[in-house]
Amino acid sequence: MVEAFAVASGKGGTGKTTSTLALGMALAEDHDVTVVDADTGMANLLFHAGLADVDVTLHDLLVAGGDAAVSDAVYERYGMRVVPCGTGLGAFRAADPARLRGVVADLAADTDVLLLDSPATLASRSAVLPVVLADRAVLVVQPTIPAISDALKVQEYATSYGTGVAGTLYNKVQDPEAVERVAAKSGKYFEGETLGTVPEDDAVRAARRAGEPLLAHAPDSDAAAAYRRAADAIDVRDADAESVADRFRSAVVPEQP
Amino acid sequence: MTELTFARVVDDAAAALSLALDRELTGHAVLTPQDALLLDDDGAGVVAFTDGVPTHVHHTETGRGGAAALAALAATGPLRVECYAGEDGAVPRTDQTAVAPGTPAERLAGDDALAARTRDAARAAGIDDATADADDAGDLDAVEAFLADEQKVEAIRDRAREEARERAEEWGFDDL
Repeated sequence: MVEAFAVASGKGGTGKTTSTLALGMALAEDHDVTVVDADTGMANLLFHAGLADVDVTLHDLLVAGGDAAVSDAVYERYGMRVVPCGTGLGAFRAADPARLRGVVADLAADTDVLLLDSPATLASRSAVLPVVLADRAVLVVQPTIPAISDALKVQEYATSYGTGVAGTLYNKVQDPEAVERVAAKSGKYFEGETLGTVPEDDAVRAARRAGEPLLAHAPDSDAAAAYRRAADAIDVRDADAESVADRFRSAVVPEQP
Repeated sequence: MTELTFARVVDDAAAALSLALDRELTGHAVLTPQDALLLDDDGAGVVAFTDGVPTHVHHTETGRGGAAALAALAATGPLRVECYAGEDGAVPRTDQTAVAPGTPAERLAGDDALAARTRDAARAAGIDDATADADDAGDLDAVEAFLADEQKVEAIRDRAREEARERAEEWGFDDL
């Protein structure tokens, strides 16, 4: 049983990585969850998950001819499996993002829910790849015009490539009542439902500074509660793990030009 | 009468605003989204600047002012920008049209760095935030106004779908 979600935004600074780990921890109460930092160009999940010093990361799995096994880059943390990505420029240059497909296929064989923390841009093939590989996208947006426009673009890319939309998560919300109105109005453009509104919360910054996911650092915070409600609103669908893995393996993604 | 200082087509709103900022424009700029050039239906935004810092915004088609006018202007893609130097009455400088220095960069361009640079320039030039006395509660009004403009939002979606299809071919996703 596996479903792969791309946690995507189209714009930086919406709190995508915080959201990926928070949704992952919340979903891990009922499912086997694997979280992957698929933002290979701007990796930062490792800093959020206390994995800044680990030796093997996703980058090592994306190097052609590398000898790292997928399991070497998988870390059991906070009740989930976490696959961080490194931040070294050299490793990034050596990595071939198209190999992500194979890594995702291997991970899919062994988990219920895959969450891919996806790049905050649609500007390149490798940035769009996690959205292509996922079954559905979770769109993380702030209630601003540019963020909503960019999330709509991600949605149209996703659906054009056969990826569904699980829902929209409003993040860093300062005025929940006003955002309810915005969410109601945006609902007719977004596929999937509004999964929730996460309030702007000092606990999020504190968790980031502590190098811990929000739900581990401040489980009683308002933001953590909002993420748990959002995770409850995601209906994880059953699929045969093997068929999903096969689908990822057979996806046609040519080598980088 | 004020003189047209320069005009050009830029990639996005961030480019238009940083153009005015870098040239320390005092006067006003007319921002016309490319859609309006093609379709002749969207109107233009007129932004008043002091020393490159946006202070007041007015939208010609909807008559909206301030942050709400930014919603009417919000569009992705290129726009034509015409800058006119000199103090003038092209934008009524009232509470209704006032914007905080960083707001256009945040709302139109989603560019926090440009917004910060604009606020720094405002401080350096001693420009007061014209919205400081105005009611600030309507912050999300602009977002709601944007979402109410079905034609504009659908245009963004259509363009993205088209782009996705073109790129699928370019990137080799078409067999997925």
